[in-house]
Amino acid sequence: MNRKVYTVSAVLIALSIALVIARIIYGGQSIRPEFNQECWRVSLIMELTGNAERAKVRVTLPQDTDRQTIYNEHYENAETNFYIRMRKSDFTENRVGFWRTELLDGDKTIKYTFSTQLRELVYGIPTNLTLSKNPAGMYPADIQPWLNPSSEIQSGDEELRNRLSKIIGKDKSIHSVVRKIYDFVRGEVKYQSEKGSKDAKLALAKLVADCGGQARLFTAFCRAAGIPSRCVGGLILKPDVKKITHLWCECYIGGKWIPFDTVNGHYGSIPANYLEIYRGDYALIKHTGLSRFNYYFVIRHENIPPVDQPGSLYVIPLHFQSLVQVLILIPLGALVVAFMRVVVGIPTFGTFAPILLALAFREVSLWVGLTCVISLVFLGWILRSVLDYFKILIIPRLSIMVTLVVIFVLAIMIIGFHLSHRKMLYVSLFPIIIITWMIERFAVLQIEDGTPSALIAALGTAVVAILAYYLMEVELIKIYLFAFPELFLAIIAALLMLGRYTGIRLLEFWRFKEFLTLSRKKPQ
Amino acid sequence: MTFFHGLLGMNRRNACYTLVRNKRKLYPLVDNKLLTKQLLEDHSIPTPVLYFQIRHIFELKFLREIKHLKEFVIKPARGAEGRGILVIVDRVGKHWKTASGALLTTDDVEYHVSNILAGLYSLGGVDDEVFIEYFVKSHPLFYSLAYQGVPDIRMILYRGVPTMAMLRLPTKESGGRANLHQGAVGVGIDMYEGITHGGVHKNKLIERHPDTDALIGGVRIPFWKTILETSVRTFDLFNLGYIGIDFVIDSSLGPLILELNARPGLSIQLANHEGLLPRLQTIDSFGPDVEEMPPEKRLELTQEMLVKIKRV
Repeated sequence: MNRKVYTVSAVLIALSIALVIARIIYGGQSIRPEFNQECWRVSLIMELTGNAERAKVRVTLPQDTDRQTIYNEHYENAETNFYIRMRKSDFTENRVGFWRTELLDGDKTIKYTFSTQLRELVYGIPTNLTLSKNPAGMYPADIQPWLNPSSEIQSGDEELRNRLSKIIGKDKSIHSVVRKIYDFVRGEVKYQSEKGSKDAKLALAKLVADCGGQARLFTAFCRAAGIPSRCVGGLILKPDVKKITHLWCECYIGGKWIPFDTVNGHYGSIPANYLEIYRGDYALIKHTGLSRFNYYFVIRHENIPPVDQPGSLYVIPLHFQSLVQVLILIPLGALVVAFMRVVVGIPTFGTFAPILLALAFREVSLWVGLTCVISLVFLGWILRSVLDYFKILIIPRLSIMVTLVVIFVLAIMIIGFHLSHRKMLYVSLFPIIIITWMIERFAVLQIEDGTPSALIAALGTAVVAILAYYLMEVELIKIYLFAFPELFLAIIAALLMLGRYTGIRLLEFWRFKEFLTLSRKKPQ
Repeated sequence: MTFFHGLLGMNRRNACYTLVRNKRKLYPLVDNKLLTKQLLEDHSIPTPVLYFQIRHIFELKFLREIKHLKEFVIKPARGAEGRGILVIVDRVGKHWKTASGALLTTDDVEYHVSNILAGLYSLGGVDDEVFIEYFVKSHPLFYSLAYQGVPDIRMILYRGVPTMAMLRLPTKESGGRANLHQGAVGVGIDMYEGITHGGVHKNKLIERHPDTDALIGGVRIPFWKTILETSVRTFDLFNLGYIGIDFVIDSSLGPLILELNARPGLSIQLANHEGLLPRLQTIDSFGPDVEEMPPEKRLELTQEMLVKIKRV
């Protein structure tokens, strides 16, 4: 019997591990593991204040490229009308999210959250390519527009072209021309953060610019020299709350878009924490009809690589995910209860009471929860004794107890509100039925087996619930169970093995401790 | 020496003995004491006489019809661990006197019965039935031993072979009940001759009864042979491989079976100062068809087992 159970358990564990590994390998879409990768969780929080007008906010959203994967996106749209469109502008397609409201009077907060996995890339710039007299002829049609001047990138400007010929001289090699332009912009243009970036012409005139001005100047020089190039906007990721975005450039050299960042000194390379959001000289956010608008990014590390296949729990809409977060903890709690009862031998009021208590503790915090449970059970037990005096039949009596527990819980909520203790309001999620049942069990046990056994069972329930609570609070466990629900198979395997555990419970050694004195008294 | 004197733990009892040897569909026969009683009576195995039963609330009025009966026991059919048992020993005016001396009105008794009917004391809280039966009078031998109530003898049968036994003496603390975890005293019984030796009270080894201070060892259980023979015959009716049978010895009727238990407790090991595992394993070593043997043969197996584990 045991052998079969162990075999089934081993199969279940192997199956869950295999599924987890498969999901990690095949979940990461285009990104291969040999690159230095980083995972981040980014929230864009936008605070809208309207003045009784129709408001519209337009935000460019990041998309998958060959070095970045966007996954687990969530939108908290605050009842606005939200949609995503691919918008062609400036010769390229960006992914743009639109939020529209009816007449907006007052505040709204919109939240867009996503995870991203990024890799570092370092390019080698081919040395054998030379500039052409007719650059347009050298490149495919969809690249050619990136040679033309635009309103902020004035590559046709006479002054700029003169400066360029001074910088590059007679050099015709693309490799060394780009190097010279890069060195000029990095060396001669002083970095200074500004309100509103300069265009290429102004940056050249003042020789002082922020990332936007430097990127536009670099792009303008390259286009003037006949190298297709463009600005790229994005975010430098580090655990932080920030508003500042970044702009860098890409040049089309030898059939590849190669990144350059003159501000932070990345020549032909892009570090792993650069998140690309839009291409071309584009605006990250535009809005109309708002009296006030504020936005910021909240960035933190993400622990889970992309596993957002259709079967993943991440596809569930965000507001249902909080429910799923609770559901996935129930098997974990059951495992704790089974272990504590079968291996340790702690008595509890049933199997489910400790699990549901632990879940309730999560909502209201441990100490508030524990205080509420103890006072509710104690108060309930006193009132039940009163009902016992009236000789009420059991079913109506239980119904009265449920009603009384609901009244207590409502009272706690009102008191909590007046004490402005917000956590107390969550008491409503308390497992009311379980508490009623605990009162009943406590009372019956107290009458039948005496107060000590009732207190011991109550203490056991509390201890197991607290243990389950602490295990449920471990962030890693929560995240991994959510990302890989196949781990439940491993939990079932563990429970199967507990189900065939025939060893003596730890507390039975205590119960039968007299057996130890026995061997001393009369040796067998 | 075996690990911890061959102690049988709760996990092992469940996983290797009750779950394996006791067929689930046979449980109702022992969990419902009315069915047990019926089966025992059908096969002329002595058990306390059933007076009447109450199945519905409207039948509560039967209680008021009791005129000449002064001593009786009210029991839930599915009660566990002696819960919900009410022992009435006398009638004082309009009141009923319980074994512990409390006076109850008819209302109190009716409330108790209605609680039983609603399932307050039953396993799993399902609706229950109540029966009223003969009040067993303790054998005179136990007068000096027990504080109150009737002592009973718990016999464990494994695959139809009497394996271990103990005498359970009610104490002041247990309120006349014979359950060890409620504070009753468990006294080990030598299986060969039915003579008691040291006992246990609240998981502590004792020599004397905590209330009466009487020595609990060295008592010869009356009708011991009859008890053993009745046990093996009872096994043939119920076919549960791991079972506890509770006997009481009535002063005039002799040994009666009170109830059977398909999940007998583990404290019997403390009372006998010995683990169950060596005995169970010895019985398993007698081969796969122990259950099929005639009752007399199985009684001999008990002796054989005692020889093998050197208790004789």
